[in-house]
Amino acid sequence: MSAIVTKNLSKIYREVGKASVKSLDGLDLTIEENEVYGFLGRNGAGKTTTIKILCSLLKPTSGEAFVFGESVRTPQARQHIGYLPEQPYFYEYLTPKETLDFYGKLRNLSPAERNHQWDKLSDLLDLRDIADQRIKGFSKGMRQRIGFAVALMGDPPLLILDEPMSGLDPIGRRMIRDLIMRCRDEKKTLFFSSHVMSDVEQICDRVSILVKGKLTHRGRIDQLLESQTKAVEIITAGLSDETRRTLRERATDYRALDEQDIFVLPDEAAANEAVQQLQQQGGRIVQFTPIRESLEDFFLRQQTPTNEEAR
Amino acid sequence: MRIFTIAQNTFRESIRDKVLYVLLFFAAVTIFGSKALGWISIGQDIKIVKDIALSATSIFGILIAIFVGTSLIYKEIDKRTLYTILAQPMQRYEFILGKYLGLVALLAVVTVTMTVVSSVYILLLGGTLHLTFFLAILLIYAKLMLITAFAVLMSSLTSPILGAIIVFSVAVFGHATEVFRDLPPQFDGTSAKALLEAAYYVIPNLSNFDLTREAANGIDVSGAYVVWVLVYGLMYTMTLLILAALAFQEKDV
Repeated sequence: MSAIVTKNLSKIYREVGKASVKSLDGLDLTIEENEVYGFLGRNGAGKTTTIKILCSLLKPTSGEAFVFGESVRTPQARQHIGYLPEQPYFYEYLTPKETLDFYGKLRNLSPAERNHQWDKLSDLLDLRDIADQRIKGFSKGMRQRIGFAVALMGDPPLLILDEPMSGLDPIGRRMIRDLIMRCRDEKKTLFFSSHVMSDVEQICDRVSILVKGKLTHRGRIDQLLESQTKAVEIITAGLSDETRRTLRERATDYRALDEQDIFVLPDEAAANEAVQQLQQQGGRIVQFTPIRESLEDFFLRQQTPTNEEAR
Repeated sequence: MRIFTIAQNTFRESIRDKVLYVLLFFAAVTIFGSKALGWISIGQDIKIVKDIALSATSIFGILIAIFVGTSLIYKEIDKRTLYTILAQPMQRYEFILGKYLGLVALLAVVTVTMTVVSSVYILLLGGTLHLTFFLAILLIYAKLMLITAFAVLMSSLTSPILGAIIVFSVAVFGHATEVFRDLPPQFDGTSAKALLEAAYYVIPNLSNFDLTREAANGIDVSGAYVVWVLVYGLMYTMTLLILAALAFQEKDV
């Protein structure tokens, strides 16, 4: 069964005295069970709107969304969801332990189950030392840890995380990334939005890119980037001056390092021609590396309007 | 269970509200200051103290219901504490009902505290307490439950300031609904008359809940009347809570 399905999901924000804003435009998504799915887009692209519709905080203007086959408007759907908002806020006068107990009660967990969850989650998220301190005055990182613990309360099979790494220091980001990996190993489904492309590239099985409320790309990262070889780097040794000179004419970049010559050729065709030339004229290939476009390059390219769009 | 959890938390939250203590302070000052008015009305001092104690319980209870109640839901949206709560497997009406019950529990504590303070003060002044005094308190509390339900409805629809103005206006006009019915003849045939007459039937008649005069003079009140007013209040309260739940059901947060 699919973990998340959205059908033609749209959201228009209407406010009295203001122009309507179309935040989401006909979104069709299918996220399979046990998948780690990245949801990418600039600020205002519609990521948070989608997430809020999935968690039933917003009502779609049209279309439907389902979680494990249940309409997101039903409490049964939310039984499957653990949600971490972009900036989690909790009652400031409660302690982390009281906060988790509160959410455990809202999930109808028994006192024994709540205690068990506290033991497990406080160890996992390192909450023991701050268990009885009031949340008021906690740093962003500490709140994010509590938020993650709240999302994991009751062991839901689907985690929906809105920008889980935003605003965190490198240690905090690492911790969240490790937690996501751990949840993946536990066969949970993870759906998260992020701006941190390197993390998305490392963690996700598949991604979707949202531009101005519309889905522009989706698929496995390697497939999205497969045909996007940016350049090829060839490291050579033992070249004659003549071979070096002609190869430099073909290359977009060149540098010499110790006894080796490093050429960057614009595409695979140019690289193959260079290899043939090397084989004919003598010289040794030490390394041949196609430079793949990173997810960040790919993402940024999608955000840049084409000449036609710019017009 | 979930409703109780939300209610418990709302109680803990509301009891930290500074507005509550400011209003309680003024209520205490009013009750203790009532003796001063008693001095000028010779022989009537206990009556005056009872009258003022009941009025203070009613007025300050209404102000607490308005100031805390109208910001109850709005504050949760503004502080974004609502996101993680509504994403839990619960119905939205459970949240509304929990918030409401938390606040009426707080008002129960406030009402009981003010009743104890007033009763002790009256007894210390040498007065006696009649059953009607406590029935008057009971009806004041029923009125506070109704006004709180209206404040919660407004809180799920609008900002705290606008909500407070609307609830305050209804609370004031609710004590004098006959004004809308007994309009002077120059209103005859105007659309304003139709509108104000409609208001007479829609706005609850809060003066039904007022037993201050009977309590101050030790006059008996029939049990049937008290039950009738309680049922009247309950019907209004339930209607307002259903409307609040319906308004909140479709609300984007």
